[in-house]
Amino acid sequence: VSCPELTRRRFLQWTGAAGLASLVATLAASDLAAAATTAPLAPGTPILVLLTLCGGNDGLNTVVPYTDPAYQSLRSNIALSGAQVAPITGSLALNAAMPEILALYQQNKVAIVEGVSYPNPSLSHFTSMAIWQSASPAEAVSSGWIGRWLDTRPRNPFDAVAVGSTVPPLMAGNKRVGSLLPLGGLSVPPSIFKGLGDPSRSDPAVVADAAGSIADLYTTATTFSTVPLTALSGSGLDRAMHVVSTMIGASVPVRVWAVQLSSFDTHTGEVRTHDDLWAQVSKSIGDFMTEISATPHANDVTVMLYSEFGRRAASNSGLGTDHGTAGPMFLVGNSVKSGLYGAAPSLSALDANGNLVATTDFRDVYAGVAQDVLGVAGSDIMPGWTSSISVH
Amino acid sequence: MLRAGLTATRRHVLAVSTSDPGLANLSAPAITDLGPRPANGTAALKSWEAALASQQQLLVTWWLDRMVLSTYPLVERLTWFWHGHWATSIEKVVYPLPMLTQNQTLRTYALGSFDDMARAIVVDGAMTYWLDNEQNYVSAPNENLARELMELFTLGVNQYTQGDVEAAARALTGYSLVSTSGAVTFDPSRHVSTPITILGSTRVFPDAPSLATFLVAQGPSPMFVVERLWFRLVSSTHPPTPAQIQTLVTSFAARNISALVAALARSSAWSNPALSLARSPVEWLVAACRALGVQPSTLPADLVLGFLNAAGQVPFLPPNVGGWPSDLAWLNSAASELRMKMAEALVKVGDLSAVSSVSGATAPTVLSNWLGVASWSARTASVLSSLATTPPQMVVAALCAPEYVVSA
Repeated sequence: VSCPELTRRRFLQWTGAAGLASLVATLAASDLAAAATTAPLAPGTPILVLLTLCGGNDGLNTVVPYTDPAYQSLRSNIALSGAQVAPITGSLALNAAMPEILALYQQNKVAIVEGVSYPNPSLSHFTSMAIWQSASPAEAVSSGWIGRWLDTRPRNPFDAVAVGSTVPPLMAGNKRVGSLLPLGGLSVPPSIFKGLGDPSRSDPAVVADAAGSIADLYTTATTFSTVPLTALSGSGLDRAMHVVSTMIGASVPVRVWAVQLSSFDTHTGEVRTHDDLWAQVSKSIGDFMTEISATPHANDVTVMLYSEFGRRAASNSGLGTDHGTAGPMFLVGNSVKSGLYGAAPSLSALDANGNLVATTDFRDVYAGVAQDVLGVAGSDIMPGWTSSISVH
Repeated sequence: MLRAGLTATRRHVLAVSTSDPGLANLSAPAITDLGPRPANGTAALKSWEAALASQQQLLVTWWLDRMVLSTYPLVERLTWFWHGHWATSIEKVVYPLPMLTQNQTLRTYALGSFDDMARAIVVDGAMTYWLDNEQNYVSAPNENLARELMELFTLGVNQYTQGDVEAAARALTGYSLVSTSGAVTFDPSRHVSTPITILGSTRVFPDAPSLATFLVAQGPSPMFVVERLWFRLVSSTHPPTPAQIQTLVTSFAARNISALVAALARSSAWSNPALSLARSPVEWLVAACRALGVQPSTLPADLVLGFLNAAGQVPFLPPNVGGWPSDLAWLNSAASELRMKMAEALVKVGDLSAVSSVSGATAPTVLSNWLGVASWSARTASVLSSLATTPPQMVVAALCAPEYVVSA
């Protein structure tokens, strides 16, 4: 199974709402034209880069309890040891496939939050991803957590931008929605077609959305196309992170970026796949941090990594792991305080399905990011949520 | 009159026939068992890799050709729907032959029995490898196929417990696979033959197809399939009303897909222009190629696959087991740009004779009749009229217009 990227339908189905159709339409041409300034982002303005690891990352083989005998016995056929791990404490090690992240940790730039999940965790890719993206495990809502942050702000198509071919539901608010930048960048199309993006009173909702997307193209392409992108050969993630670092270097006024990487659903043959994925993640984060260090925004950026769930504590006989619950989150940045947050879940007190019992709620981490990076209280985007974990 | 025209178009879309003249000259794709990957550093590896790449590409262009050339497109339309439903990706399966076999199975049952389809797919080679069922052992069950079979293929989420997933995994044991050909073998001695309790019912499941039949017969299954079909063929933003659901679920009582599609077509929703869907990249490309008389395999493969890849929808390469995103996900600035570039390439080779002698005044009507668009907004009509003296640009505008990107 590859990336459990959310379809809007799954999001709507899970939340039981039908609000997104009209929502995209609210980004009409006139609104976008007003926001299409190239006002550069002021140094000191915090920037968030969200990296979604799709498929369910195996936390126990990422942040490894390498000295716990239960770790070896639960998953003897995939347990890491010796040169496969890089100890960071007497009981925890990073997977040795992530040397750049280890180096950043040692430079005091990586916070690791252990044992993160939410009450009554779902083992479904789609439900759990919807929960992480909406930040509402118990109650159905039709918006994503970054989307609700957009709702608190004046209209601006640059506030939140996804790199790739679809806008993730986390960027869909009740009134606003994030924009999209493809890997290859955007070029401004011929002006003779620009009129196709004008609003029309006769448009049904979906047609209005289509017109809005054309208007959106002319608006955002005008700004993004002024920033030259170097063609990179590396992995898709390398290229996406390079697009983000280039845009940050050009002071494009984007506050939240979203990037994703799929294929973490390691039911079989896990060790090699998982190591390869983390080697990609680690290299792209290392390169990214180097690239932004030369920009005026070097100290403003926080990269946050999460996955929809961790995996089963015990391995299966196919040298893999089935769907699980709690896992670690990573936050990386020059202004992040390195260290371990939350608490490592116990391997000797698993739940009835053999899964890790969470020690930390992801909404605490979101609330800390809301306060430290987005400049709002956690409760502004997650009503009623008052606790938080700050890593800044 | 426009509504009548629209209904007539939809009626044509629903027609099927045992022989399809449009496909008469399209031969079966030369897709073979490539055998295991030769060792690194051998000369054989190079030719194996070349054959793999060429067959993977052929698989995609062959199917696009079928979608474009068929005189009765409903079978391909439904096969495409079922590919998204039982979404299996060649990214993991690698070998084109098992993917072709699955595609032909989906086509065989596209308008047949959902029970037969589920029974066939649950032991399909590509699906077996995709969801790891060849590694699902009595001693150590692998839950991957069991969970998705219930969540995504037959029942829907929250219709089962984790205990049901584990039990269903046991009912799916006993299968082995030749990954290069997709040949699946069942060994009853490696299958759980004792009674298994699933969804509160305890019984012996003699093989995987018996589990498929059990699940498809469950109460929530018809509603689940009805919603999936509605979402892809009618509207992803307006769910069916309770009365519509009732009618559609009743039509699907025998799990007969053509009966359900016919009921959908009889529904008032079918001809309601407010219930519309954005064309996905494949659907848009196929519609444009049909209009312009362009056979996809005659285009440079880099152009076609480059467009589909950048747009995020290559047949046989769904992003995950849940299939492709919904229609609204395709309405973004990046997709708009890609469509314009692809349309510019298509009009260079396509047949534009239908619009060769239009004037500013006649352009909108000629184009709407030609492309099957009910009506253009004033906005679009104005752009089309302004480009009447340069037909290629005018056709690009029509193909990229909001009213064409969204299919009524």
